[in-house]
Order: sequence, then C-alpha cells, then structure tokens
Amino acid sequence: MGDKTLKATGRDLSGRYKRLYTMLLDAIPSSVLLIDQNMRIVSANRNFLEKGQRTLANTIGYRLEEVFPTIILDQMDITKRIRQVIENNQPAKGERMTYRAPGVPIRIYYYSILPFTCQGQVEGAVLLMEDVTEQVRLSEEVRRVERHLGSVVESASDLVLSTDKKGRILTWNAAAEMLSGYPAAEAREHDFIDFCTDEDRKDIREIFSRIDTRKYARQMKEFSLRTKQATFIPVSWVFSPLKDSSNQTAGVVAVGRDLTERRKFETELHQSQKFAALGVMAGGIAHEIRNPLAICSSSAQFLMEEDGTPEFRRECAEKIHKGIQRTSAIIENLLKYSHPSTTTRTTLVNLASLIKETLTLVTYHANILKIDMKTSFPREPIMVQGVATLLQQVFMNLFLNAINAMPTGGRLRIDVKMDQPEVRVQVTDTGCGISPREIGKIFDPFYTTSIVGQGTGLGLSLCYSIVKQHRGTIEAESVEGRGSVFTVTLPARFG
Amino acid sequence: MNEKYAPILVVDDEPEMCWILENIIRKTGLDCRTALSAREAMDLTESNKFGMAFLDAKLPDIDGLELARKLRKTNAHLPIVIVSGYFYPDDPTIEGVLQAGLITAFVGKPFDHDEIVSVITRYARR
Repeated sequence: MGDKTLKATGRDLSGRYKRLYTMLLDAIPSSVLLIDQNMRIVSANRNFLEKGQRTLANTIGYRLEEVFPTIILDQMDITKRIRQVIENNQPAKGERMTYRAPGVPIRIYYYSILPFTCQGQVEGAVLLMEDVTEQVRLSEEVRRVERHLGSVVESASDLVLSTDKKGRILTWNAAAEMLSGYPAAEAREHDFIDFCTDEDRKDIREIFSRIDTRKYARQMKEFSLRTKQATFIPVSWVFSPLKDSSNQTAGVVAVGRDLTERRKFETELHQSQKFAALGVMAGGIAHEIRNPLAICSSSAQFLMEEDGTPEFRRECAEKIHKGIQRTSAIIENLLKYSHPSTTTRTTLVNLASLIKETLTLVTYHANILKIDMKTSFPREPIMVQGVATLLQQVFMNLFLNAINAMPTGGRLRIDVKMDQPEVRVQVTDTGCGISPREIGKIFDPFYTTSIVGQGTGLGLSLCYSIVKQHRGTIEAESVEGRGSVFTVTLPARFG
Repeated sequence: MNEKYAPILVVDDEPEMCWILENIIRKTGLDCRTALSAREAMDLTESNKFGMAFLDAKLPDIDGLELARKLRKTNAHLPIVIVSGYFYPDDPTIEGVLQAGLITAFVGKPFDHDEIVSVITRYARR
C-alpha cells in the first residue's frame, strides 16, 4: 500500500511540478522561448505571445524568422548568437534588444540565451527576454533630471561645490573651475581647506566640525579662495550640511560668491568717502596751511628789504624754514590719507599710531570749532590685523561725526584700551547726541541727519562694514543733548 | 605819525604771526600790542586805547568775529581788520560783516606787507 501511495504521489508530484512550471512560466514578466537546433520554436510563454500579439498556433513549430521581424533578426543577429550558444554550450548574457512589432509601441528587451541540455546533449536554447521598456524610460527620466540639476549647478555663476564630512572635494562646478583655475578632476584630489589662506584654516575647520549641529545648519563667512595662479579672490561662502536619503549629514555643500566686483565698488566708495571727509575739513586744512605760508611770505618780504640787522635776517630765514617744514608735514598727512588704496591684503597694524595720525588730520578742523581733544593710549603698542587705510577711514569717520556733532565746541575724548583678547577704542563727544528713535538706524546705508549736500549718509554704514570685515564690533550709545559714545572693538594681535 | 596815533592791537594765537604784524606796524612808526587770545585782548582793551585792531578769525577761545562784536560794544569807531587764512575775500561771511560794518577790512593770509600798510594808512585812528 505504501509502495502504491508513493507511486501515485510521484505521478501527482510530476504533474504538479509541470503545472507549477507552466504557471510560473506564464506568470513571470519575461518572455521565454525554447528554440531547437533548427531554429524552430518549441515553446513560448504567455508573456511572449501577448507582447508579440501572437497565438500558440502561429508560433510553435515555426522558424525564428517567421516569428521575429526580419529587421530585428538582422540587426541583432539573434540566429547567429543562438547557434553559437548551442555549438559552444555557453550562455550569452546581458544584451539589449529593441523590438518593434507592427501596431505595437516600441519595446526594449534585455535578453540572455542559455543552452538547453538534456542528458549532456545540447538540444536547443532558451531565449529569455525581459521587457525593460519601463525601466529604461525611468532611468532615462532620472538621467534627464540629473542632467537638468547638473546643468543648473554647472550654469550657476556662483561657486557650487560639495565635500565629504572631512572636507574632501566631491563636486566642483564650472564657476569654481573658472574662478579657481583648477579643473574639477584636480580639485577632487584636494580638501576645501587647501583652497584657503593659512589664517582662515582654523575657522573653516570649526565650520566643518559643527555643520552637523542644528544651530549651525547654515553658516556664512568670507574666505579668500586661492587660485591656481596663487592669487586670492574674496568669496562670500554659505555652508550647509549635505543630507543623504535618511537625513544624515553626508557632507557639506558650499555656495560661494565672488566679491571682487563688490570690493572694487567698495574701494571706490571708500575713496569718495575720503574726499567727502576732506571736503568737510577743507576750511581747517586751508587755515592750517595758510598760517605757515603767511609766515614764510612775510619773512621773505622782510628779507627783501635792505634795512634788517643780520640777527633779524637770520630770524626771518629760520621762520621760512620752519614754516615750509610745517606746511610740508600737513601736505604729507593729507596725501597719505587721500592716497587711493586698492589693497585688501591685511597687515599687522599699529592701531595707536594709526589713530594718532588720523587725529592729526582732524585737529585742524577741531581747533577751528574750538573742540578740546583728549586722548589716552596704553603704554604698550597695540597691534591688530587689518587694512590700515580702511581702519583709518573708520576712525576718521567717527572723529568727524563727533566733531560735527559739536558745531559750537565741546570735548572729544579718545580712549584706547586693551581688553584681552580685544582692543577697545572709545570715541566720546559732548555733542547733540542721537535720539532713541534714530539710534537703531545710524548704521544703515544712506541714513543721515545731515543737511542735504553735507553728508552722504554712508559714513557709519561703511564703518560698520569695515569693522565687521575686521571681525570686530561697533556700537553706539547716546543721550540726546548730552553726547554720544562710539565703541569699536577689534581682535588684538601679538607679536 | 607815532606821536599822534594810538597803538594798534594785534590778536593771533600764532606768536609768529604776531611777530610779523608787529614788525610791519613798527616799520610804519606806530606802536603795537599783541595778544594770543580773545581773553588777553579784552584785558588789554580795558587799560589801553587802541587806534586799530588786527584780528585772526580763528582764536582758541572765541572767534575773531565774536571778538569784533565785543570790541564794538565798547568802541563803536575802532577800525577792525580781520586777517585770516580761514576765509577768502569774497567769502559770504566776510562780505556780510563788511557790509554790516562790524569789520572795516579783510586781509587774507598770506599777504603782501603793502596790504597791511595800506589799511593802516587808510584806517588807523588817533
């Protein structure tokens, strides 16, 4: 009984397997053909019949060329490939085939040919065709979107680049290539830090180390970009974390804007500001120059007269000499101040000397308005890293503002103090002061309380931008009718 | 003319300018007193009678024009000459005070000695 059951079970199993295979064959989304050595179709699954709009009756037993359009057979050389598979007993894999049947939309197949062996003999070949039309369409779509995104990044006039978390360059757009002179392939061999100045490296490391924290998700900073020609271009950067699909930080995206043009404009603005300041001081300067000129002129006129004693004539000559030296010193100060400076390279600046020099220039103006000036400087030299001409402009603007706030005289006090790790410069006047309503706007560009034509309204906004550029701060405190205190702090440097 | 003319007052915060004006004035035979500030000048006018005054426009304590106003109060007929490098001859301020009669003449720095001599000859009072 056991034997009978086994046999019955065996028969059942074999029937079941056949049904299972037929079912699987018909269910899979691929076309499967069994072809014999004579290139006749032995078996075809449902998928093939449906895709080719054929029936079993006009497919089984027919030759390959009767089932496939000639164009495909010729183009893809399927017959030859099937023959090779049968002859060599070696599968052919991974070929793509485009199938155009009359009246059906274009289909793209991925096909493989496997030798079909029975008891060691190759009897035919199985042609497996997977319809990849949709995948190809999707991947083309993906590629199109990628190309579009790529061209957006490539066409951007700003620098767009990405790095891994350690700062290794991953992508580098055309603008970055053009500005830096480094082609993307070469840039990818470097870290972001390699394109920066030595002084900026510490700050950049900090930015990269905290990019992962929510608070610093968007960090803006100005760094110079080192070009292949070893020049430095000012760039305003925005750093953001590069997130992967699971919202984990995978790297950093840096977008940078070339500030060269803006710097050029700012330089021109600074220069015109200087001339505006000179205009304000013109009366004082003229007075200061004409006094020694008058002394020289008169002494010369005395000398031209014949009647002077030798002592008197000597005194005249000495006064001429002294007068010329005095005038020359004033002119030198003016020249130094008005000399256009295009450099934005920072140097170690002795802040106390710079402030003293600037004070000399405004003294003429202050004296005329009967402003009493008091200064206090620490004994040790005060050094800051910066652009001397820009810093001089900050103090010139602050001093002139203070002086102009006291048209009928007053006191101007300048206190320079070391307040580690900063240096603090306080400019205190006893002038008209600023109302609480106005004090919030004083650093805005073009905000001015001056009479039309007397002030550009750019002085304090320039001070603000210059001080910020030097990584310092500028603050104002004022009591209307009593006076104002402007405080500038700058990072101190040693050595 | 020295005997008949009152001394001339020179006010300038620059001692060198005082020295120059004093020398020019003395060469004309007139006497001269100098002051380095308006305060000093006011003190001098209290005890002296002057026949003319040369004032600098910018003095350390008060302006030359302000000093002119103070001098006018006690001496309506004193010839006052502003000698300055701050203003220029057709300066609106100068034209205004000349017209108002606050000052008698203006001499810009630097000047020819003849200009000083000619205002002395013209305006100096006894």
